[in-house]
Amino acid sequence: MRLAYWMYEGTAHHGVGRIANSMRNVHAVFHAPQGDDYVNAIFAMLDRTPNFPAMTTSVVSGTDLARGTIRLPETLKQVEERVHPDLIVVVASCSTILLQENLEIAAQHAGLQCEVMVYDANPYRMQEIVAAESLFTDLVKRFAKPQPRTERPTVNILGPASLGFHARHDLISLRRMLKTLGIEVNVVAPWGATIADLRRLPAAWLTIAPYRELGLRAATYLEEQFGVPALLDAPIGVQPTLRWIERLRELLAQAGANIPMPPLTAFSLDGMSAPSAVPWMARTADMDSFSGKPAFVFGDATHVVGITRFLRDELGMPIAGAGTYVKHQANWVREQLAGYVDDLLVTDEFQTVAARIAELRPELVCGTQMERHTSRRYDLNCMVISPPTHIENHLLAYRPFLGFDGADVIADEVYTTCTLGMEKHLIDLFGDAGLDLPEKVKAPSTPEPAPAAIAIESPKPADEPVVAVAATPAAPAPVAPPAASPAPATPVDPVWAADAEAMLKKVPFFVRGRVRGNVEKYARQRGHAVITAQVLLAAKEELGA
Amino acid sequence: MHKASTIREDGLYHSFCGLVSVGWLYQKIKDSFFLILGTHTCAHLLQNTLGVMIFARPRFAVSLLEEADLSSSQPDISAQIEEIKREHHPSVIFLLSSCTPEVMKVEFEGLAASVSTPEVPVLFVPASGLDYTFSQSEDSVLQALIPFCPPAPPEDKRVVFLGSVNDAIADDFSLEAARLGIPVAGFLPASHFHELPPIGPGTVVAPLQPYLHKTATQLRNERGCTVLSSLFPFGPDGTRRFWEDLAAQFGMKVDLSDREAAAWERIKRHTDLLRGKKIFFASDTLMELPLARFLKACGAEVVECSTPYINRRFHAAELAALDGVRLVEQANFHRQLRTIAETKPDLIISNIITTNPLVGQGVVAKWGTEYCFLPIHGWAGVNALVTSFTRALERHAKLDPLGSDPIWLTGMMPSSPGVISLQS
Ligand code: SF4
Repeated sequence: MRLAYWMYEGTAHHGVGRIANSMRNVHAVFHAPQGDDYVNAIFAMLDRTPNFPAMTTSVVSGTDLARGTIRLPETLKQVEERVHPDLIVVVASCSTILLQENLEIAAQHAGLQCEVMVYDANPYRMQEIVAAESLFTDLVKRFAKPQPRTERPTVNILGPASLGFHARHDLISLRRMLKTLGIEVNVVAPWGATIADLRRLPAAWLTIAPYRELGLRAATYLEEQFGVPALLDAPIGVQPTLRWIERLRELLAQAGANIPMPPLTAFSLDGMSAPSAVPWMARTADMDSFSGKPAFVFGDATHVVGITRFLRDELGMPIAGAGTYVKHQANWVREQLAGYVDDLLVTDEFQTVAARIAELRPELVCGTQMERHTSRRYDLNCMVISPPTHIENHLLAYRPFLGFDGADVIADEVYTTCTLGMEKHLIDLFGDAGLDLPEKVKAPSTPEPAPAAIAIESPKPADEPVVAVAATPAAPAPVAPPAASPAPATPVDPVWAADAEAMLKKVPFFVRGRVRGNVEKYARQRGHAVITAQVLLAAKEELGA
Repeated sequence: MHKASTIREDGLYHSFCGLVSVGWLYQKIKDSFFLILGTHTCAHLLQNTLGVMIFARPRFAVSLLEEADLSSSQPDISAQIEEIKREHHPSVIFLLSSCTPEVMKVEFEGLAASVSTPEVPVLFVPASGLDYTFSQSEDSVLQALIPFCPPAPPEDKRVVFLGSVNDAIADDFSLEAARLGIPVAGFLPASHFHELPPIGPGTVVAPLQPYLHKTATQLRNERGCTVLSSLFPFGPDGTRRFWEDLAAQFGMKVDLSDREAAAWERIKRHTDLLRGKKIFFASDTLMELPLARFLKACGAEVVECSTPYINRRFHAAELAALDGVRLVEQANFHRQLRTIAETKPDLIISNIITTNPLVGQGVVAKWGTEYCFLPIHGWAGVNALVTSFTRALERHAKLDPLGSDPIWLTGMMPSSPGVISLQS
């Protein structure tokens, strides 16, 4: 047992819900206590669904347990009556799975017209990603039928799904590139697919599955079972996109289709420019300072690999470290990032990631919603590159991560997140250069009981307390800890003397947190209990701060 | 006594479990920590409903049951309790139950006792989704606090306000009581664990929230106090009745009719808008009865008021005031949708899960969840209360009519039937 605050992945039933809510005429039914219905809220809020998410909780109450009632058949009937699905996927929850009920029999009792599939997802063995991927693979295996290829070359796109990170935008980007190449799409799944669409999957000439988390296994199955070749790379960045297009054409050529390469300008939005501005932008003098900005990247497998390579290969940034919470993909990530990262961090405990970030103090953190919090706390620049996300990551404008369009989006995000080059020199030279903000007054603890609770919807006030923590000088640490043995390995947090604190105030506000951390680290290493102006000076010299 | 006929359905509606009340209680009781003995599911629920978005160091966490822990019937949480004490220094730790340990038949009282110390008590709070919905678990938290309310002698005749409200509302109620000459002993819960009010046979307990009947009953039984039976203090009508009935408990006859009339007058623009409007309550916070009663008093037509549970004794005055309104306990969501299609309400108060989709169907809907956090109590809350209803109506009326054309929903939701998705 451990203490958990935040989870990177959702639960198995959330993964099932994501597949159901991606597809048309498929509905998930959770045999679960009422609270497990919360996953519905994530779809309704983050995806702003204009219809009811395609999932229903068949409530199990304490009274039901005492009486041995199973309400599942009744729920199934009600769901069929209201939404007329082609398929209902039934799944148990973390608590009901312990009851060892036979849900197959219960489901049969409902006597439905539509197909019902009891999906055996043990929530103690699988979480969101594996549950979604396995269910989707099972569905493809169950419904894909042998059939002749389409007359003209077509491709499947597997992987985009409800609540997928920028999934809708990625899909647009992929479609744009395919259109430019004159290649038609056979089926997109699970996004918007019906069961009938799954049946048609083997008619494609090629399957594109850019995400390691979803669609990979189904694409592999289609290759093995039906000989539909699979392109499993993620076109993140300009070079990878060029290689991806090349590979796409190669695979189609092997399948007997000659796809001519149009001029690269055809891929741009106006059809007459460079498809991406990243190669030129990366070469401008403006970007020189980025060679001195180490980045730390954490997230799912696909995005961590794509972004780490992009930062180093296309923007010339040093990589301070990287990691992933998708443990079953860790080996793949390690392999892909050989030569980029030495010790890949593999963990699903956010505290561990926070500790690594605190230790590295990179100029840029690319992470999830959790790393954004950690970065706030340590006053570091952070951009979100992977789920879990916040509603503010669900923006309306076209912001893909894949393809040429995606490269521009990522580069812009990096640029606007980092502290800039020339400006930074000026600030370093002249102190705050008039940019400094008054020290934030420590926010009084919120008087409202919980204005921000159930707060998916109120990001703005929500950020306040975190900022306050970051910008308020640390309270003087207790001089003597109650610990009995003063082990040198765990020294006390050093205290700032007034003169040093005053000097620290002259450091530009946006690097102040980092300087503070570095100096404290230095003081700890040297065994200084008090940071005086002298210690600060020595640290600055030593660290070049 | 009122004999309103309420309809009881099968409870297949969208909602959350009792764990969500942690979201406001940990902020209310400032030196507390809320530990849930639960699974990944409970942790995911908390983070998605209460805000991964808010605090990097929240004062709530899940002691995570993993597969290996399922075999031992009595888990050991002492390591996590120590970690919490070390990192957060709480004065009190609430140990919340959840579904999996309930199915495992974990003996929670004993578990809490095994890690409880006089310095930092660990109190068991039943909250699992098998038995508790939404705000109901605040009732469990307050019950757990009862033993820490010092006893009051019989001659101590003062009021204790029951229910978590923010400090500003608490100040309002203290001031208003002082103005009427009603002596105040305090609030349950208080903002800090060691500030709990004394309660004894002379105490009058005045409930501020409609979901606390277990605590009220236990206080009546154990401490012999009186529990005020009145309307809940929402809206001019409810607030007047609340204070007049409370004053009567202290032998005072006060007439607040002028005050009530003035309050109605101030919100006339809004009540004019609400008059004759059809309102449908499909929310799940247990605040529905008093809110529906207020809207009825505003002249609105409440076509249905669904609420998770009704307690005939605790809600007696509200039920009487709601005479004639269709009241549904444990509603069925599919049936609600049919009734909505038939009655075509002007405004639906729904839960956070169904609001956006309802709006997508072309009706005006708003989050009922908000009422657990809005400062809508007493005289000072009247404006916030009424505008919470009219804001959605007025805003939708102002918006251009484009929203009613399904083209503007096209491609927004991959699974949505009836709108064209990105699927070719
Ligand atoms: S319903 Fe039960 S299992 Fe689900 S989140 Fe609530 S307490 Fe946890």
